[in-house]
Amino acid sequence: MKFSFPSREFDDAVAGVCHNSASDEQVRGLNELLRSDAAARDEYILRLELHSRLASEPDLFALTNENEVAMAASIFPPQARPRGTARKLTWVVALAACVAISAVGWWGLRPMPPAERQGTTSKAVAMLDRAVDAQWNQGGETPRLGAPLEPGWLRLKSGLAQIVFYSGARVVIEGPAELQVISPNEAFCRSGRVTGDIPPQARGFRIRTPQMNVTDVGTVFGLGIRAHRTELHLFKGNAGFELAGDTVKQNLREGSAAVVESPHPLRLIAADRTAFALLFNLQAKSVADESRRCNQWRAASIRLSRDPSLLVRFAFEHETDWSLPNTSSHAATVADGAIVGCQWIEGRWSDKRALDFRNVNDRVRLSVPGEFEALTVAAWVRVQGLDRKLNSLFMSDGFEHGTIHWLIRNDGVLGLTVIGHEANQFQICASKPVLTLDQFGMWLHVAVVLDGRANRAAHYANGAPAGEKALKIKPPFRIGAAELGNWNVSGFPKEDPFMIRNFSGAMDEFCLFSRALNPDEIRALYSTGKPQPDAVALRP
Amino acid sequence: MEVLYSRQMSADSTRRFEDRNAAQQQFLSLFLRSEREVFRYVAALIPNVADAEDIVQQTAVALWEKFDAYDPNQPFTPWACRFALNKAKQWIERRRRWQALLESGLAEELVQRREELRPELESRLNYLEGCLDKLPGNQRSLVEGYYYRRESIEKLAENSGRTVAATYKTLQRVRQALQVCIENAAKGTAA
Repeated sequence: MKFSFPSREFDDAVAGVCHNSASDEQVRGLNELLRSDAAARDEYILRLELHSRLASEPDLFALTNENEVAMAASIFPPQARPRGTARKLTWVVALAACVAISAVGWWGLRPMPPAERQGTTSKAVAMLDRAVDAQWNQGGETPRLGAPLEPGWLRLKSGLAQIVFYSGARVVIEGPAELQVISPNEAFCRSGRVTGDIPPQARGFRIRTPQMNVTDVGTVFGLGIRAHRTELHLFKGNAGFELAGDTVKQNLREGSAAVVESPHPLRLIAADRTAFALLFNLQAKSVADESRRCNQWRAASIRLSRDPSLLVRFAFEHETDWSLPNTSSHAATVADGAIVGCQWIEGRWSDKRALDFRNVNDRVRLSVPGEFEALTVAAWVRVQGLDRKLNSLFMSDGFEHGTIHWLIRNDGVLGLTVIGHEANQFQICASKPVLTLDQFGMWLHVAVVLDGRANRAAHYANGAPAGEKALKIKPPFRIGAAELGNWNVSGFPKEDPFMIRNFSGAMDEFCLFSRALNPDEIRALYSTGKPQPDAVALRP
Repeated sequence: MEVLYSRQMSADSTRRFEDRNAAQQQFLSLFLRSEREVFRYVAALIPNVADAEDIVQQTAVALWEKFDAYDPNQPFTPWACRFALNKAKQWIERRRRWQALLESGLAEELVQRREELRPELESRLNYLEGCLDKLPGNQRSLVEGYYYRRESIEKLAENSGRTVAATYKTLQRVRQALQVCIENAAKGTAA
C-alpha cells in the first residue's frame, strides 16, 4: 500500500512510528512514500523533531502546577525519571565509576546549542601565568590569565607576559613579540624580546628563532629577535645552539652573548642584562599592577556602596572568622552575614581575601527582609569543581513563595529558580552554558537580573549577557533567610542527593540590589572588578 | 621512609590515574552537553523514546571506549553523532519492522535532509514553549505526563478514563495542534 500525502493514513502512520505501534503495512507504506515524495519527507522530519523535542527538553515544562511537592524541590525533578533511571546510569557504571561527577539524564538539562568549542585542557602544553599591561594582537580569542595554552601563536602587541611550559620552563616575552608555543619543551620566536629560566627538570627545552636553534639551555638566557638578527645572551649556566641551516653545534658560556645578523658572520659579545631589565622586573611590576587594580576596585566599591538600591554588599575584606560586614548604606536593614565553616584564602588580588567553600556544610547565612519588584544579584566566584548537580551561589531557604535560588548546574549553566506564589509553582530560568572545564580555577563574574516590571530574567557572565527568559511569575519577590554557597532545605528530606547543593570554590564579592540593573551597569561591575585589565569576556 | 614510599602509588601510576580521572570528567562534561542533541539525531530514525534512549546509552559507552581518538579541536556533537548512527544501524539490523521502515537508503536520506533542515527546525521549535502554554489544561497535562513525567500510556489512559488507543489518538491530535500553532507563530513573525 502506498499512502498519498497529505492524508490521514500518513498522519496515523507517523504517529504509530512515534508510539511504537505502527503496523508492518504502515511502515512499508511510509518507506515507499518517504523515498519518493520530498514534501512528505520534510513533513515527517518536522513531526519527529517535534516529538523528540518534547521528549528531550524538560525545561519546556518548567512552569507546572503539579501537585507533587517534591517537584518543586529541584530543577531535576527526581520523580520525572521513573522509566529508565537505572538504564540512564548504566553507561556511567561503564566509566569505571571513579568519577566524582554523577551522571544525570538529559531531562534534567537545558537546551544547549551544539558544543562548538568545549572546555578542554588535553592539548595544552603551557599556561599564561602572569601579564602586565599586556595588549594582545591576536585574531579571535585573547589569551586569558591562568588559561591553558594549546600549541599556537601568541602575538603580544605591548606589555609583558609570562608563559610557563608544562616542562617547567618559564619564558617572559615583551611586546611587540610573536612566540609560537609548540610543545611542553619547545617554542619558536619570530620577533621580540624574550627571557627564559630553564630549571633542571626542563633540561632539553628548545627555542628557535629564524636565525638560530637554541638547545640545552641551562639556565637563564635572554633572546632579542628582530628582522634578520638574533641575539642570545646567557646570564646563568651554558647553552648550545646551531645557526639556521647549519648542523654544527656551538656552545655559549655564562656572561657572553652571540649575535647573528645575516649575512654577517657570528659575533660574540658580553651578555647585557640591562637590555632585558624590563622582563626581569616582571615579578615586581606584576605585584604593583595587581595592587593598582585592587585599589581601583576599592575606589569603585566606595561609590557602589552609596547606591540606594544596594541591599547587601559583601566585600570580603576586614572580616572576622565568623561574620561578613554588609558595607551597603542599607546595613541597618540587612544585618551582616554569618560565616559557617569556610576558610579565608587569597582573592582576586594578592592583597584581597576570599572565602573558600569546600566542605558540604560551608555556608554564609544572611537574612534580607522585604518585598521587591525587581532584584539583581552579582558575585565574583572561582569555581573549583561542579560536584553537585546544583551548586548554590545564593539560595533562599526552602521553597518560600516569591523567593529565588541562584546556582550553577554541573553542565556549566547558570540557573535561577523563581518560586511562585501558588502552591508548587515555580519557574526555572537557565542561561546558556557559561562555564567550561578550562575555566575552573579562574575568577568569573556572574550576575542575574530579575525584573518584575519588564517580566524578564537575564543572566550575565563576565559582564556579557548569557541568556534571557520571559518571567512568568509576578512580583513581589523575596529573599528572606538565605545562604551563599549552600542551601538550607528547611523541612525537606536532607538525605536526598538533590538536596545537597554546596558550592565548591571561592567567592570574594557579593552584591544584591533591589532593582534591575541594566546591561551597562552589569558590564561596569565586571570591568571595575576584573582581576586583570587584559582579561577578556568569556567566549560567546 | 622508604617502606612508606614503596606502599604509595608510583608517581607514574598516580599520574595515569589522574589523567584518567581528568579524561572522564572531560568526557562527561562533553557528553552531557551533547546528549540531547544525539538523542534527537537518533530519534529522527527511531522515534520511539525508550529505544532511542537505549541507543544513546550504547553510543555513550562506545564514545568513552574511543575517547582517546577524539580530537578536542573538533566539535564533539558531530563526532558523537557518527557513533550514534552506527549504533542505530546495528540496532535496526536486528529489528525487522524498523528495517522495513528505513530500508533502501531512507535512513541516510533522512539523516542528511534533517541536517539541511536544521536551521529551519530550530527556528520553528522556538515557538514550542509558547504553544505548549496555550494548550487547554487536560491536553497539556497529557503531554506532560507522556513526555516529561514519562508515565506509561496505560496509566495515562486510566487517569483520563479513556482507552489506550484513544489516548494515543489524543496525543497525536495534541501534537498536531502544537504544529499548527508553531506554523502560525512562524508565519506571524515572517509577515
